[in-house]
Amino acid sequence: MRVAIAEDSVLLREGLVRLLDDAGFDVVGECTDAEGLMRSVRSDRPDVAIVDIRLPPTHNDEGLRAALEIRSEHPEVGVLVLSQYVELGLALKLLAGSAEGVGYLLKDRIRDVAEFVAAIRRVADGGSALDPVIVSTLVSRPRHDDPLERLTKRERQILELMAAGTSNQGIADKLVITLRGVEKHVSTIFGKLGLPATRSESRRVLAVLMFLRA
Amino acid sequence: MNVGAERLAASPRPALLAGIAVAGCLAGALSVRLAYTADISTPGVRAALIDWITLPYIAAGLVAWWRRPESRLGVLMIAGGFTIFLSSLAWADAALPSTVGQLFDILPAAVFLHVYLAFPSGRLTTTFQRLVVGSAYALAVGPQVVKMVLGYGSNHLLVIWTRPDAAQVVERVQLLSISALCLVGIGILASRRFRSGPPLRRSLAALIDSFALGLLMIAGLFVIGAFAWPAFTTIQHLTLLIIGISPFAFLVGLLSARLARSAVGDLFVALRAEPPPEHLRDELARALRDPSLALAYWLPEFQSYADLEGRAIDLTAEADGRTTTPIDRNGARVAVLLHDQSLDDEPELLNAVTAAAGIALENARLHAELRARVEELAGSRARVLEAGQKERQRLERNLHDGAQQRLIALSLELRFLERQLADHPDAVKRLDDAQREIDVSLAELRAVAWGLHPAVLTGHGLAVALEQIAARAPVPVELNVDLDGRVAEDIEVAAYYVVTESLANVAKHAKATRATIGIDHMDGNLLVEVVDDGVGGADTDRGSGLRGLADRVEALGGRLRVWTPRGGGTRVRAEIPCA
Repeated sequence: MRVAIAEDSVLLREGLVRLLDDAGFDVVGECTDAEGLMRSVRSDRPDVAIVDIRLPPTHNDEGLRAALEIRSEHPEVGVLVLSQYVELGLALKLLAGSAEGVGYLLKDRIRDVAEFVAAIRRVADGGSALDPVIVSTLVSRPRHDDPLERLTKRERQILELMAAGTSNQGIADKLVITLRGVEKHVSTIFGKLGLPATRSESRRVLAVLMFLRA
Repeated sequence: MNVGAERLAASPRPALLAGIAVAGCLAGALSVRLAYTADISTPGVRAALIDWITLPYIAAGLVAWWRRPESRLGVLMIAGGFTIFLSSLAWADAALPSTVGQLFDILPAAVFLHVYLAFPSGRLTTTFQRLVVGSAYALAVGPQVVKMVLGYGSNHLLVIWTRPDAAQVVERVQLLSISALCLVGIGILASRRFRSGPPLRRSLAALIDSFALGLLMIAGLFVIGAFAWPAFTTIQHLTLLIIGISPFAFLVGLLSARLARSAVGDLFVALRAEPPPEHLRDELARALRDPSLALAYWLPEFQSYADLEGRAIDLTAEADGRTTTPIDRNGARVAVLLHDQSLDDEPELLNAVTAAAGIALENARLHAELRARVEELAGSRARVLEAGQKERQRLERNLHDGAQQRLIALSLELRFLERQLADHPDAVKRLDDAQREIDVSLAELRAVAWGLHPAVLTGHGLAVALEQIAARAPVPVELNVDLDGRVAEDIEVAAYYVVTESLANVAKHAKATRATIGIDHMDGNLLVEVVDDGVGGADTDRGSGLRGLADRVEALGGRLRVWTPRGGGTRVRAEIPCA
């Protein structure tokens, strides 16, 4: 699996490259800014690009703009955005319209190597990865007549994993239940929240996100 | 109060004026007597025309001298009156007075030219004018003597060599030259009338017109005289008639200055009602009859002139045709009047008006000074806030690029180490502990950096930044952001803090069940509104942080208002200019 990286901190970039090498990824682009990343995406044909949201020269929105550009011009390339802070507003911007092949994680997550690698693979395969902090912010957001209160504790757990982009198999593994059990829970949750059922895992990420955001 | 003190001079002694008046009357009477004893036709008309000029010129000259001692015009007019009288001595039987009279025959034309060009100060202001008037005097007297020596005229003592044809040539040259100088004089008057600008007073314009007409008549008369064309006598009478009008126009001008002084009276009455400083200019403009009048107040602290709002004014940038009159009070500069040049002709009026407005001007000056200080204070408050903001941003950036990145990299390094030490359980456990410490440090650092400055605001703007704020709020929040793109960063930061501080207050005090955040762009203002349905009655002075918010908003020229009726919820509304 081919990966391009844009990260201006040398220490972190080298750490990431090493981590990805160890995990069996082929790092085809090591970039320090958004322009370099765009060149790499065009010429090195990575399966996924990992982008620091703050990139030179201004460290304002270059990273996000590069991510959005890759999403619109190279939809076949997954984009995983890393940030020191996770912001709901940025998640909504990044996932506007589609949750396919996109991820947004707190930078700290790279230390949980197994989870991080799984997230990269998911995004590269057209799935999604949304940081648990964003999900929990959305889930715990105060609501009137909170429809989430109709969910059981287990259903809430599954809702959060779904929102984070975890596949049914991933949920089953994590909660040590059968895949069949997960599917049943998922359809119950969609029924309780009044959401239209969908088989696409990334489409349901967006559906859940929009539901939670409203 | 002191306006152009150098222009003021002592009035002449009344005895002197009275003496001149008596002399004038005697001269008038003498002219009549000479006319009737001389061998001339229509002596009544001749005498009346001489006195028509002599008496008004002397009278107007006396009034002018008395009322405007600083102007030499009065003296000049008196001289003009007596010169005309002297020319009537030509009718005398005795040879000596007749000689004098004939010598002064042409001189009145030069004197009138002098009077007209020297109006109103009585002084000729340019070398060219002096040259014109000097030439006129020389031509009026020099060739006259030559003519008389050559036998021109009769009953005088100068005739030496009787050559009538030569005398006629000299006379022709003399009259045509003076005629030309009169035309030049008309040109000078016309250019003065143009330069005087729009607020040129009507009486003044009429006066200048009467001068020009007088010069035109003299020029015409001399041309006719030079070629001995017919109807000379009729034109001569008409010319004398018209020249005699000028003193009346002049007196009307003086009278209008007296009317202006009654405008000063009106000004006194208006100022007694203590009009607000912003009306002072209009009152002064009315009293001075100069609608273009402007006031610049002196602010010694800023070493600058300023308008009433305390904004600096550059006096050197003023336009042509305008001039300034400084106004001092108790030895200190108060203000400067910027007015039309034509007002310089009426120093008394300026003096009276500024004296009447003294206290009001001083008040207005204090008003301007206060406004300038407030502006300066607001500016320095904004600068302090901005400097603080920039510093916080810089610190956040340093933490983000430095400590935070390094800690994550370090943590990753420990992971690699942990994998290599997989068969040393003790070491792995200690590495795990170290990892957890780094986790805590990272979380703390993140909170500190975030508290310093919400980086997402700089990078992505208000609409993006407020999503998280709304989602994290203690009560359900409806977020309505209606913004096209970004506004200036300091405004975004202020708006952001208005929202976060208001929501913090909702959490602490309001006992609310819901809140609404509204961001809108309206009439060049960014509107920020946070409304809750809580208990209201928020303390807007202490501890609520609202004071600090108001500071922030006001430093940007905006305003913050809070409605918090007991039991009626709280509405915080900020309007920040963002043109």
